[in-house]
Amino acid sequence: MIEKGRISASQLGKILYMAIIPTSLLTTPAITFKYAKQDLWLSPIWAISGFITVFIVLRIYRMYPSENIIQIMERIGRRIPGKIISGIYLLFILYVNGVIVREYSEFVVSSFLHTTPIVVISGLMVLVCAMAVRGGLEIVGRFAELFLPIFITLFLFNIIPIIADLQWSNLFPIFGEGIRPSIEGAFVLQTWFSEMIIASFFLPFVADHHNAKKTLSRSLLAIMVTLSVSNLATLLLLGELTGNYSYPFLILARYINISNFINHLESLYMIIWVLGAFVKICVFYYVTVLVAAQWMKLSNYQPIVYPLGLLLLLFSQWVAPNTQVLTEAIAGPVTLAMITMFVIIPALLLCIVWIVNRLHN
Amino acid sequence: MSQFKYLINRWSRSDRQRSVNRDLQHTQKTKAALSNQLDNNLQLLQKVYADCSDIIFHNFWIGDQIQAVLIYIDGLTNTEEVDQHVLAPLQKDFPHEYNLETIRKKIAVSYIKQVETIDDIIAEISVGNAFLLVDQENQGLSIGVSQWKTRSIEEPSAESVLRGPREGFIESLRVNTALLRRKVRNSNLKIRTMSIGTYTTTPIGIAYIEGIAEPDLIQEMMSRLERIEIDGILDSMYIEEMIEDNPYSPFPQVLSTERPDIAGAYLLEGHIVVLVDGSPSVLIAPTTMFALLQSPEDYYERYVGSTAIRWLRYLFFIISLLGPSIYIAVITYHQEMIPTKLLLTMAKSREQIPFPALVEALLMEIMFEALREAGARLPKQIGSAVSIVGALVIGQAAISAGIVSSPMVMVVAITGVASFMVPRFVVGIAVRVLRFPLMFLAGFLGLLGLLLGVIVILNHLLALRSFGVPYLTPLAPVQSSDHKDVLLRAPHWRMNTRPHLTGMQNLYRQSSNQRGINHQRMTMDDEEGGFYEL
Repeated sequence: MIEKGRISASQLGKILYMAIIPTSLLTTPAITFKYAKQDLWLSPIWAISGFITVFIVLRIYRMYPSENIIQIMERIGRRIPGKIISGIYLLFILYVNGVIVREYSEFVVSSFLHTTPIVVISGLMVLVCAMAVRGGLEIVGRFAELFLPIFITLFLFNIIPIIADLQWSNLFPIFGEGIRPSIEGAFVLQTWFSEMIIASFFLPFVADHHNAKKTLSRSLLAIMVTLSVSNLATLLLLGELTGNYSYPFLILARYINISNFINHLESLYMIIWVLGAFVKICVFYYVTVLVAAQWMKLSNYQPIVYPLGLLLLLFSQWVAPNTQVLTEAIAGPVTLAMITMFVIIPALLLCIVWIVNRLHN
Repeated sequence: MSQFKYLINRWSRSDRQRSVNRDLQHTQKTKAALSNQLDNNLQLLQKVYADCSDIIFHNFWIGDQIQAVLIYIDGLTNTEEVDQHVLAPLQKDFPHEYNLETIRKKIAVSYIKQVETIDDIIAEISVGNAFLLVDQENQGLSIGVSQWKTRSIEEPSAESVLRGPREGFIESLRVNTALLRRKVRNSNLKIRTMSIGTYTTTPIGIAYIEGIAEPDLIQEMMSRLERIEIDGILDSMYIEEMIEDNPYSPFPQVLSTERPDIAGAYLLEGHIVVLVDGSPSVLIAPTTMFALLQSPEDYYERYVGSTAIRWLRYLFFIISLLGPSIYIAVITYHQEMIPTKLLLTMAKSREQIPFPALVEALLMEIMFEALREAGARLPKQIGSAVSIVGALVIGQAAISAGIVSSPMVMVVAITGVASFMVPRFVVGIAVRVLRFPLMFLAGFLGLLGLLLGVIVILNHLLALRSFGVPYLTPLAPVQSSDHKDVLLRAPHWRMNTRPHLTGMQNLYRQSSNQRGINHQRMTMDDEEGGFYEL
């Protein structure tokens, strides 16, 4: 097998959590607020695509425990069409990762290092991620494992000090305009929930596979709760203003003021952000490298890590000319594309596999 | 391109595989056996030991009739014992019938070994044993009368404790194994020996507890040691660098200690201890990052305090790595993080400073490291003078001359103190080296650069293994049952299991019911007669 390392199921759960939460924490509240208004915090509960993806991943995993969905697509699609489909997927994952790298860099540049060229920020991050990915699956898993406690501590440290300042009246009316706005607001969140599909690429390397179902559902639940809590905190603190900021959660960090001494902790948020983005980019980077190596039938993926990193850097520059376009793209086309690629096509795949198996029997 | 290849080849030629054994054939190694003629044997040995002024050939007669020669190294052998227990019994009233067996029985020394080849004879003599050659015999007797001056057992100065045993290993392998045996009085404590070094033939002891240490681990250690072909081993560091998993890492992957109690504790956890003759530091493998941050005293003080001190140590370990770079990042890029009043004071003290924070910090850190090195290498009397001068130069004059600001001095001082808190000097060195690139990163990219630097270091640590054990266990990969001895120092009655990666085949180190007298009374009063789970 191409990957020699093994991870535990709990590591997989942590990988998924750390791969989905960081960027959604940062960007979603503003976009969700546009549609859901004060029901912002209810939107993460409509994690439909998350449930569907987890279901698909687990079903396929049960049928083919040693292959990921792209390998199965190649298997179903036969030689040429299969290669074309998996090639498209390879490019798409690369593209998604490019979006993530860009999101990360845009945030760092706009909030902290205003004059630094964006290529430098992206390039350094991709370089660091490449080192980790070259280390293999185990390293990525251990990074997720190591950073999760730090991440959660900092997350709580961002929320707990402002509890006293929260305006609970911002919460009402709950379902003021019915259930619809919260579902509309949940639309963009489906992008992140559909990312649960990456579990398919890690499951073949999980040592204790009987825990797979438990760990996937747990991490999906944890993601929903975290998003809900962060949205709630943002809403209760900022109220109607939530939509005015591009990074509302960052404002929370700015708001912290403990006895006039500990204040202006945006840089603390940057730590959360860099750690989270690092794991997220690593995970997608690793998936890209793995898929590319399998696509080209390589016996070892290490040699293609750095070349793909260069491509990733280029993609991150190509995805959008500026922040506004990027945010719009995430709210519209990227979401649609991701739902198609990560939810609908895998669902079709599952149906086909199921029918093929039936016919064979 | 071809030129480049040529250069690479030329450069690597010096590194090409070579076995030192071939080069060493001119050392008089020979498998030749002894003959029956004493004169021949003597000539052979005298040739081998030509120009060795410390070798003594003593001719004498056994019982006035047989010629014999006693060979030993002056200074390594206890001559008094030779006179009283070897020469005296042999020279006085020896019976008519004689052979090696009767001679052997006459000698009043407990270690006697029959030796036939020149190789073995040389090995025996080098250790300090006296060698007895007898006429008409093709074998000789090696008599264990070796004795040389060793240092007495003292408290190791690098690892002193307030409470706990104060004895330390010394330079003699036998004394060290005895110290270990005194800690673990059990026949399952096995000590294998081998010798490494074509010239020094340094004896090496490999100690482990059978039934606790993994057989694979022992096998791996033996094969790594057997691989070594070197001219000499002068300290255990030679071995340490040759058996590491990643020889390029700045972090030690083998723990070295001078304390028998630490070695004993690790033996009980399934680790292997390598003792090297001539070095008071023994090597313990495998090890983890957290083992290197532990002090023996953690286990000899009350657990609450020990846990707190352990956390303090972790905190200061991070400070010693990141202190100056955090300061640089904050003062250069993130001034808003500093509370306003403090910022004003700092700005005032930095007003006169001509350098950016990075240059200032580099100046001070390099100065500090230089002073530290100077102080450590000089004799004690001069060392204190260096530190006084250093304190004045760094602390006072540099500030009043307006070269560095006083907050910078504080940061450097705190970092210095923090690096002294790391109980293992080797880790301290790794941290001191890594501090500088981090300072540059912080100076160029602020907290972001610092974080990326930390991630790169973590990436290295996560990939690092010590004899197959991941370096950051039990944090990553998580092994929650081992957290009791890393995140805490659990009370001894809670330390029920051995660490998972080394002690798996004999996991439980004690019964689960060790909480002390009150607890026992409670369980006895319990009507159900059951035991409380801990």
